[in-house]
Amino acid sequence: MGSMIIETEGLTRSYGDICALKPLNLEVPEGEWLSVMGHSGSGKSTLLNLIGGLDRPTAGTLKVGGEELLGRDEDGLARYRREFVGIIFQQHHLVPYLTAVENVMLAQYFHSVPDEAEARTALERVGLGHRLKNRPSELSGGEQQRVCIARAIINSPRLLLGDEPTGNLDHKSTVMVLELLRELRLEERFTIIMVTHNQEVAAWGDRTIYLDDGLLVREERSSR
Amino acid sequence: MTALKLIPHLVAWTLMVLLLLRGFPGRGRGVTLWAVAGFAVGTAGYVLLSRMLPVKIPLEIIRATVGVSFFLLWVVSVGALYRSTVRDFPLFGVQRLMASPFAAWLSAVAAGLVAGGICASRLPGIEGAAAQLLAPLLLALTGALLVFAARGAERRLTSSLTIPPSSLLGALVALLLFSSSSILLLDLFSPLSMKVMKGIHDFVHQFMESILIPDHLFIRPPIWRAIGLLFGKEVGFWGGLVIWFTPAILLLLAVQLEPLPSVAQIRQGAQRRRVQAAAITTKRYRLVIPLLALTILGMAVYQSSFPNVEYWDPKPLTITASPGGELFIPRKGEVPLDDGKLHKYLYKGGGKEVRFFVLTSPDGKLTVDLDACAICKPDGYGQAEGMVICYYCKTLIPLETVGKPGGCNPVPVPFTEREDGVHLDAVTLVNSWSQTVQATIRTGKEMGK
Amino acid sequence: MKRLLAAILSTVASRALPPLVFGFFLLLYIGVAFFTDETLITLMALTRNSVILAAILALLPLNGFCRLVAEAAAELKRRRALSGKSSRVEPELYDEAVELVAPASWARVEERLSSEGYDVTLAQGGLLAARRGGTLFPVRMLYLVGMCCLFSGILVSLVSRGVNRQAVVEGAPFPTPSGNGGMVEKISYGRISGLILEKSLIMEVAGSDEQGGQKFGIYPPGRFRGAFVYPRYLGIALSYRLSSPDLPGGAEERTALLPLYPPGKEAATKIVGTPYRLNLTLGKSQDGSDPYVTGKMTFLFKLLKGQELLLTGSIPSGGEFVRDGYRLAIPDSRRMVMTDFVYDSGVLLIWVAGVLCAAALLLWIPLRIFFPRREMLFKSEGELVRAFSRAEGGRKRHAGVFHELLDLLEVKEKR
Repeated sequence: MGSMIIETEGLTRSYGDICALKPLNLEVPEGEWLSVMGHSGSGKSTLLNLIGGLDRPTAGTLKVGGEELLGRDEDGLARYRREFVGIIFQQHHLVPYLTAVENVMLAQYFHSVPDEAEARTALERVGLGHRLKNRPSELSGGEQQRVCIARAIINSPRLLLGDEPTGNLDHKSTVMVLELLRELRLEERFTIIMVTHNQEVAAWGDRTIYLDDGLLVREERSSR
Repeated sequence: MTALKLIPHLVAWTLMVLLLLRGFPGRGRGVTLWAVAGFAVGTAGYVLLSRMLPVKIPLEIIRATVGVSFFLLWVVSVGALYRSTVRDFPLFGVQRLMASPFAAWLSAVAAGLVAGGICASRLPGIEGAAAQLLAPLLLALTGALLVFAARGAERRLTSSLTIPPSSLLGALVALLLFSSSSILLLDLFSPLSMKVMKGIHDFVHQFMESILIPDHLFIRPPIWRAIGLLFGKEVGFWGGLVIWFTPAILLLLAVQLEPLPSVAQIRQGAQRRRVQAAAITTKRYRLVIPLLALTILGMAVYQSSFPNVEYWDPKPLTITASPGGELFIPRKGEVPLDDGKLHKYLYKGGGKEVRFFVLTSPDGKLTVDLDACAICKPDGYGQAEGMVICYYCKTLIPLETVGKPGGCNPVPVPFTEREDGVHLDAVTLVNSWSQTVQATIRTGKEMGK
Repeated sequence: MKRLLAAILSTVASRALPPLVFGFFLLLYIGVAFFTDETLITLMALTRNSVILAAILALLPLNGFCRLVAEAAAELKRRRALSGKSSRVEPELYDEAVELVAPASWARVEERLSSEGYDVTLAQGGLLAARRGGTLFPVRMLYLVGMCCLFSGILVSLVSRGVNRQAVVEGAPFPTPSGNGGMVEKISYGRISGLILEKSLIMEVAGSDEQGGQKFGIYPPGRFRGAFVYPRYLGIALSYRLSSPDLPGGAEERTALLPLYPPGKEAATKIVGTPYRLNLTLGKSQDGSDPYVTGKMTFLFKLLKGQELLLTGSIPSGGEFVRDGYRLAIPDSRRMVMTDFVYDSGVLLIWVAGVLCAAALLLWIPLRIFFPRREMLFKSEGELVRAFSRAEGGRKRHAGVFHELLDLLEVKEKR
């Protein structure tokens, strides 16, 4: 593991009187797969939103790739989200009336310019070379999530964030998606931060941190 | 009133300076200084020349300068298009020249001279030495203040907006044309339209002769009517528009057709796309100025076509002929004929309505002319600023030459001048009108000859 | 010397040359316009009489020819490279050129290109060539040849055109410089329903000592002893006799050539040796038929003496009019076609240019829009592979495929 891609110091997020994330000190080395576990309301998604630049903390610092993220203006944050981060949600959030390849091209469009050949290659890499022209409703849950992975990696992010990406999948599909993520991480060398409920899924990571009531309570290295 | 008339010219001048400042980044001081100097000298130069020489001469100098700059724009825009589509297009050191401070200074001073001259031509002829000195002085000062205002405004412009030299020239020339098109004697569009009409007519005629196309006698009327469009009067206007707008369109095309940088060396798709997207964004910003030039040129055409000048255009008085077929206009009627203004009359006879006018020229000679010329549709004439203007083609005819036949001059009518007034023959008048109007309404029937 | 020659050649073949030449003539046109209203005619006359101007104009066809040679050579080089016949590939002939580490196998590249619709060929020496769509090269050649022809035609026409206007009269010898043309047997004129022409005009000429019989139409104009026979307008050749109280001996004109067509058009003729003037009009026939077609002609006339109108009336061909001591007879009238005999070799070139450019345009539109040429070339050189790509249309998609293929090669950039 090389330099730190994420460094937080006293990172806090409150909503009025409620403190969703209590001062958190966290370091994530470049290329690591970090699993974040905790019950509902433990602050997992809040942390993910802060790292993903979707939300701003109430206090503390958040360095991404050595640079303070909080110093950026809205344009800077948008650029960060566009070029630095890829996100996979539990709900796939694919545009229903676009085909798989068009959904991936849409991500290219928001990033820079669409390139169909590249989008096709990305879908081939996630094993969907035969489903390019299918709409989301014509795909299985596992396939939809693989389109999401292709969409998340198409812009070569350095950081891939997953918010329960396998939450809606059966066991077979879950394993398939996680294996795919592992392969892609080796090829593309991005860092994964994945929020999950599932201990078995968390175990695919290099390290797991546990949040409880907004506080980092424990962390452990995976044996895998 | 004068201040109101000056506003569009001063706005154009401010925009010119703003563009110059952005077009020559890092040369702000030089551009400011030379622009102020150019404007002041332009103003003073015009005022001096118009005092020493007939006012037409300094105006003609300005018009020629704007005309030459328009031609230069044509050359540059064609060059720009070639450069973006042909890889080995030679530039003959133009780029090096444009990067030098002299280019910035020269552009600023040249724009200032012409803009100052145009603004000064709008100053009224005031009596009294002090007033004569004060007005140009105030104008030069305003010009200088506006240069500094432009400098302030330029700093607030987004840094993404860059102006390549060709676009800069395009916008500057467009602004000069806009500024000059509102002044009858400086307008270039109307004379251009006339020249284009004649040019296209000659060209098509020669071309058809050269490839031995038969005359209209042998050709199907719909086909001939289509060919005839090229001989119509409108072709001058539309052809003029094409010549007017093409340089700005070529500049737009030059930006649009410029190939994106090769990204084949980059081995990551996202990075490749980012480079392409950045190039596309830059390109879009570079389209802004040619688009602006296009808009300003459009405004110039509008000003030229609908000049904000009040014409003396009296309602024609209906007159009747004596039993012997003679028309008589008394010298000292309701309005005396020798007031130097157009006196329009309407005569109904021989199934025709004939409009004609009587005018006493500045040298005191009476002239009777049809309210129509031998070239244009018979839209008639108005009188403004020491000349008459053909409403159809906007050609200006000095009062001295009214009464002489040819070109767009009103067609003279033979008449007899006596002590009591003007006598003319009704039949001759009607025949003259019929021949003239018939000739100008006919579309190209004569062209094969 | 060699360098000078190369510089001259590259200037003459440069794409910058045509706009410079056009600009020069435009400038000249503007200059001439200051002095005369007949600008184009003056400019043509200037070019005709000046070797320098003609030479500048001649740069245009010369440039077209040089570009033709240069572009054909470039195309040949590209073809040789694509087919593996040439060991050298010139990067400047392509849109993109890049150098990479060679892959172990071309299989994936080949498969990918085929799936994208490219024709892939593998040649000896580690060369993979892929192409798709039809090349615009022949179209470009057609266009360039067309341009060469057009400007050569204009030049030849400007410099060498000679026009001799003659009246071709029915029943009279065909006018030739030597005077011994065959008899014009018939001039027939009638309505047709052509795409462009609505009238036909045929001048039938009998054989003479020098030439067999010939027919001349409207378009394309026929040729007679090297000249194009270019009918300009129709008229009547008529003979008349006038006698009057002050001209008892009478006056006669055997062939007055009058532009009297179409019916209603007035033409004037001065009666030679007298103070009289005759204004004539071909009368419209009652049944609406064209008297020029039917040959049944009646003439309306005005006889004037100075400004004074003496008589008006009508006379059928072959008839006469008598009143107040005046006698006007029209014993004969014949169809006449005022014809230009145009000696101009440039016309053919301009016609050819028109056909070539039209053909080029017709081919260009579908090719460029629907089947633009796209090419890729991968050439192994030891451990390296050099990749080249160019497209005449559909650039964006083609470039996407090219870049993806380069990524597929999974190699590190060397440059």
